[in-house]
Amino acid sequence: MRTFFELVKLSARRQFTYRAAAFAGLATNVFFGLLRAAVMVALYGERGEAAGISLQAAITYTGISQAVIAFLDLFGWWQVIQSVYSGQISGDLLKPMDYFRFWMAQDLGRALVNLAGRGVLIMLFYAAVFDIVLPGQPGQWLGLLAALLLAWMVSFAWRFLVNLTAFWVPNAVGIGRLGYSLSWLMSGFLMPLRFYPEWFQKLCNLTPFPHMINTIVEVYLGLLSGPEMMAALLHQALWAAALTSACYLVLRAGVRRLVILGG
Amino acid sequence: MRRMPIVVRELKKTYQVALQRRGALGALRSLVNRKTRLVRAVDGISFEIAPGELVGYLGPNGAGKSTTLKILTGLLVPTSGEVQVGEFVPWRQRRSYVAHIGAVFGQRTSLWWDLPVIESLELLQHIYDVAPGKFRHNLDEFRKLLDLDAFVDTPVRSLSLGQRMRADLCAALLHEPPVLFLDEPTIGLDVVAKERIRQFIRHINQQRGVSVVLTTHDLSDVQKLCQRVMIIDKGRLLFDGQLSKLQERFGGRRQVVVDFGERYEAVQVEGAEVTQHEGQRATFEFEQGTISASELIGRISARYRIQDLQVREPDIEATIRRIYEQRLLG
Repeated sequence: MRTFFELVKLSARRQFTYRAAAFAGLATNVFFGLLRAAVMVALYGERGEAAGISLQAAITYTGISQAVIAFLDLFGWWQVIQSVYSGQISGDLLKPMDYFRFWMAQDLGRALVNLAGRGVLIMLFYAAVFDIVLPGQPGQWLGLLAALLLAWMVSFAWRFLVNLTAFWVPNAVGIGRLGYSLSWLMSGFLMPLRFYPEWFQKLCNLTPFPHMINTIVEVYLGLLSGPEMMAALLHQALWAAALTSACYLVLRAGVRRLVILGG
Repeated sequence: MRRMPIVVRELKKTYQVALQRRGALGALRSLVNRKTRLVRAVDGISFEIAPGELVGYLGPNGAGKSTTLKILTGLLVPTSGEVQVGEFVPWRQRRSYVAHIGAVFGQRTSLWWDLPVIESLELLQHIYDVAPGKFRHNLDEFRKLLDLDAFVDTPVRSLSLGQRMRADLCAALLHEPPVLFLDEPTIGLDVVAKERIRQFIRHINQQRGVSVVLTTHDLSDVQKLCQRVMIIDKGRLLFDGQLSKLQERFGGRRQVVVDFGERYEAVQVEGAEVTQHEGQRATFEFEQGTISASELIGRISARYRIQDLQVREPDIEATIRRIYEQRLLG
């Protein structure tokens, strides 16, 4: 456990090495956030509400989904792929530690810095420029924290799983792109899921993707009643557990393949 | 420290390599009907290494050195054969096993690329669960021996190759493993850097009793470090023993180069052949074991006036080349 926390701490500190990149990323996130907010305003036109979401909530939604991009590393995380292809993985397998937890700890450090830094800054900017929705009761804040943590776990396990294809395919980046595009479409990153036709919403809800973003958004905006929120969080936790188990299974098969075929 | 003898029996590792057919049609056919070829990287190797030995594992590129080392460190599962290091079978208990060994693969680093060296080392302290006192003590010793202080706060990506290798060696030993595996530890380094690395390896072998297995194709590594050398080629062990024995058996001829006090028309002595004679200098070549150098010099000086002379040992590099080329041991 100590090693896990040390890795989290270290990875968090490492984020400050690339300050220029972080500021550039922040500026880009804000710019696209403004763009998406403008699109929402245009789409709503004279209407005050669509699919149970007010314009004010829709604008807030664009802020939230921009704020979690860096936190969840939505645009792609390729580190295990790179490690497998460069052979660095053998150095990591020579260390007496759990490979999944090794990366999980490092990703957690990265995620926390990006949430507290970029995420909060984007929301503050939104609060200054727009009239945004804020969670009301303390229960909703707690739910939001839980939803964020679980969303990160679902997202990390999904990204790790996508990366593991590198054990089998010589160019896993293509598969990765497909995996990440799927997660944009079906997580509610491009549009709130409530805007989609019902059959597509149902389809999305069969996948883990809504638990990366949509659950955060709905808890934040207060679209779920108390019991509904608990059910959503539980659902999220189940997906996190299922994906983590899948990661372990696939990782074991991948390492077995690596040690038998040679890297 | 735990004692971990290494026992390897009839080790074999076969890779399947896909063959590419030529041309577009060939590529299409390959999709349906893949042709593969078996490559025997390691082909029936057996040896034992006692605790505290320093062994050089020598061979040309593609000889199977790295494959053997990967199996010994638990990174590869052999096709057949047995390996036992202490109480471990490396690939079967990899995670608990690697806590008891140190390994450096020369081409790669086990440190974090964008972190200062010291932070990587501190992280390894937690990963290997090294007690703080032990960690401090070892780090202090290695810092001095490897002269790490100059770059301990520099990120690994900015280190020179020699500095990186020194940092990696330190990282591999902080948890006091009884066995150290080194794959090409001096590859690409300049003479000074090589020498420093060798001194360090010698130190931890002699002072700490760590067994060291190092692969190399640099003969001077072996000459300067190893009591014992194993020569491998095409997956087979060609020689296993003292370097001097290798010289004795396959060394070829020794030479005595003589500068005479005056000019002689022809020089000749029994037991040696004159391979060069120019001006006042002549080279005598003789087989080891048939005559000693002092005997030969005695015979020469009995007949001719010697001004100066030198005895040349056969070049070990040439010896090994001869072994590979002529498969003397096959």
